Amino acid sequence: MRVLLVEDDAVLAEGIARALRAENFAVDVAANGEDGGHLGATELYDVAILDLGLPKRDGLSVLRDWRGAARDMPVLILTARDGWSEKVEGFKAGADDYLTKPFRIEEVVMRLRALVRRAAGHASARVTCGPLAFDAQLGTFERDGLPLKLTAFEWRVLSQLMLRREVVIERADLIERVYEGDADVDSNSIEVIIGRLRRKIGAEMIETVRGRGYRLTAGA
Amino acid sequence: MSLRGRLLLIAAASTLTALLFAGFAIGHVLERFVMRGLDDRLDAQVQVLARAVRPDGSIDPARAIDLPDFGVPGSGWAWRIDGPAGHRTSAAGAPEAMTSPAIEGPIEPPGDTMRGPRHGPRPGGDDIRPGEIDGPSGQRLHARETVVATAVGPVTIAAFGPRRVVAAPLREALLPLLVSLAILGIGLGLATFVQLRIGLHPLVRLRAALAEVRAGRSSHVPADQPEELAGIVGELNALIDQNEAGLAAARRHVSNLAHGMKTPLAALALKLGETGRDPDGSLAAMVAEVDARVRHHLGRARAATPAGRSRARTGLAQAVADLAGVLDRLHADRPVAFAPSIPHDLMLAVDAQDLDEMLGNLLDNAYRHARSGVSITATVEAAMAAIRIEDDGPGLSAAAMGEALVPGQRLDEAGDGYGFGLSIVQELAELNGGTVTLGRSARPGWGLEVTLTLPHAP
Repeated sequence: MRVLLVEDDAVLAEGIARALRAENFAVDVAANGEDGGHLGATELYDVAILDLGLPKRDGLSVLRDWRGAARDMPVLILTARDGWSEKVEGFKAGADDYLTKPFRIEEVVMRLRALVRRAAGHASARVTCGPLAFDAQLGTFERDGLPLKLTAFEWRVLSQLMLRREVVIERADLIERVYEGDADVDSNSIEVIIGRLRRKIGAEMIETVRGRGYRLTAGA
Repeated sequence: MSLRGRLLLIAAASTLTALLFAGFAIGHVLERFVMRGLDDRLDAQVQVLARAVRPDGSIDPARAIDLPDFGVPGSGWAWRIDGPAGHRTSAAGAPEAMTSPAIEGPIEPPGDTMRGPRHGPRPGGDDIRPGEIDGPSGQRLHARETVVATAVGPVTIAAFGPRRVVAAPLREALLPLLVSLAILGIGLGLATFVQLRIGLHPLVRLRAALAEVRAGRSSHVPADQPEELAGIVGELNALIDQNEAGLAAARRHVSNLAHGMKTPLAALALKLGETGRDPDGSLAAMVAEVDARVRHHLGRARAATPAGRSRARTGLAQAVADLAGVLDRLHADRPVAFAPSIPHDLMLAVDAQDLDEMLGNLLDNAYRHARSGVSITATVEAAMAAIRIEDDGPGLSAAAMGEALVPGQRLDEAGDGYGFGLSIVQELAELNGGTVTLGRSARPGWGLEVTLTLPHAP
C-alpha cells in the first residue's frame, strides 16, 4: 500500500512515515501543498494523508483540485482544526475521513487500512481467497488458518492482489503501489517478489497474464 | 449628578434669580410710585407753611393752615415749624423729635427746579428732604422737611404722614404681582421640564440603541442622530467595530496558538509512542491532558463570539444533513442507522458555526455510544425549537447526568467522552439563548436523550 503524506512539520512527518513503514506502507512525504498537490495528481496512491494548514497551498484547495481532476484515492485529513464546521468543509471538499491532532498513530494506521479496504469495495475487514485470508484491519495474512510471515515488499504486493482478487492487476500499477517514489526500482524485482510469494502461498494462486500483469485467484 | 438634574438645577436657579430680581425691581418701582403720592401731599403742606413764615422769622397764624387730614389728631398727619422766633405745630400736635440733622450755615436761594408757585422765600423741591421717624403713638411716620432762611436765622418746616397710607396700596399692588410672578415661575419650571424631556429624549433613545447592540439585536447604533450626538455615536460605532475586531483578533490568536500547539503535540505523542520511551504511559497521559486543555480553551474561544448571534438564521435540516455526511464517514465501520426527522424549512436564530459545534458534538456522542440507531427530531414550541437527539446506547446514570451539566462545574478537567463535548454544547447553547437537558429516551431500549432548545427564527 502506497501512502502520500502531505505534512509540513518535519518531525511529525518523519514520525508518521516511520510508523507507517513499520506497518508495511510505502510512504511518500510532501512538505507543502504545492508538492503534495502535484504528487497526488500525477502518481498512483492507495490513500493520502493531508494536513490542512500547509505552506504554499491550503490542504482544502489541494483536495478540491484532486477531486476536480478525478483523482479518487481515499483521503484522510489529519489536522489541528477540530471544529465541526471545519470537518463539514473537509468532507464537502472530498475527504473520506478526518482525524485531529494530536492523534494515536495506531488510529491513523487503522483508519488508513479501513479507507483502502472500503475503496477496494470490501465492507468487512476479513477478505478471503481460497485458503488465503487477509484481515484488512489488522494487516495480517493467514493461510489455512496459520499466520503467514511476509517481508514488507511481499506484504505490499500480496495485499494489492488480495484486495483486488480475481482481477488482473497491471504490472506497472503494481510497481507504482509497492515502491516509494524515490526508490530505485529494478525492473525484475517485482518478478522476484512474485516468485517468493508463490513459494509461500502456492504457485497456482498467482496467475501471470502475459503482457498485462498478475491475478490472485482461488482457482475457481 | 444627572444631566437632567444639572440642567433643571441651573434652570431653576436662574429662573428664581430672575423672578426675585423682577419682584424686587417692580416692588421698588411701585413703592416709589406710591411714596411719590405721599411726598406730594406732605410737600404741599410744607409749601403752605413756608408761605406762613414771614421774612422776619415770625409765623403768620392765618396762613399756617392745615391741609385736609392734617388737623385730625392721632391720624399721624402733622406738621411743625421751628424757628428762632417761635414754634408752631398742626392742630393735632406734632412729634417732638426731628430726624433731620440741624442745618448749619446760610441757606442757598431756591434753585430753578423748585416746584410749586413762587412766593417769597420758600423751599424748592430739591430742598425738601425726606426722613423717617417713630410717631408718638408708636406708628411709623414719613417726614418731609425744609429749612427757610429768615432775617433771624433758619426756620425748619416739617410735615409728617403715616407710613401705613403707603403700606396698604403697596400691599394691594404687591399681592397680584407676587401671584403673577409665582404663576410665571411655575410656568417656566414646567417649560423647562418639558424642554428637558424633549431635548434629552435622543439620549434616552441612544441608550436604548446601545442596549440593543449589547443584546446582539443590532450591530451598530443608528447614525441618524441629532447633530450634537452624531459625533458621539460615530465614536461609539467605531469603538464597537474596534472591540469586535479586537475580539476577533484575540480569538484568532487563541485559535492559532491552539492549532500551533497541536502539531508539535502530535509529534511529541508520536515520539513517545516509540518503543521504550514511555514504558508506563504516563508521558502519553500528560500529552493527552495537555491536548484536552488546549481543546477546551479552543472551544471556549470559539464560543466567545461577539454580539450578533441572534441576527443569524441557520437552517437546521441542512446543518444536520451536512453533519450526517461527516458522521457517517467518521463512523463508517459502525452500523449506525441515522434517522433525522426535521422540518426542512425550520430556521434557527443561531450562528451557523455554533450550531455545527453543538449538533456535531451531540451527534458524535450519540454515534459513539449507539448500538445501532441515532435519531434527531425537532419541534417548534412558541419562540423556541426543541431538538431531541436520542441513541440506543446504554445512556447515562442519573448521577452522571447531574454531574455533566452542573453550572460552574463544567468538567474542566474532563477528557474525552460525554463530558468535554457537553460542557461546550451547554456554553454555546446558553450564549445563543438556549438550553441543554439530559434525560432518558422514551423509546424502549434506547439510552440517552439530549434536548437542545434554541431560539426559532420564524
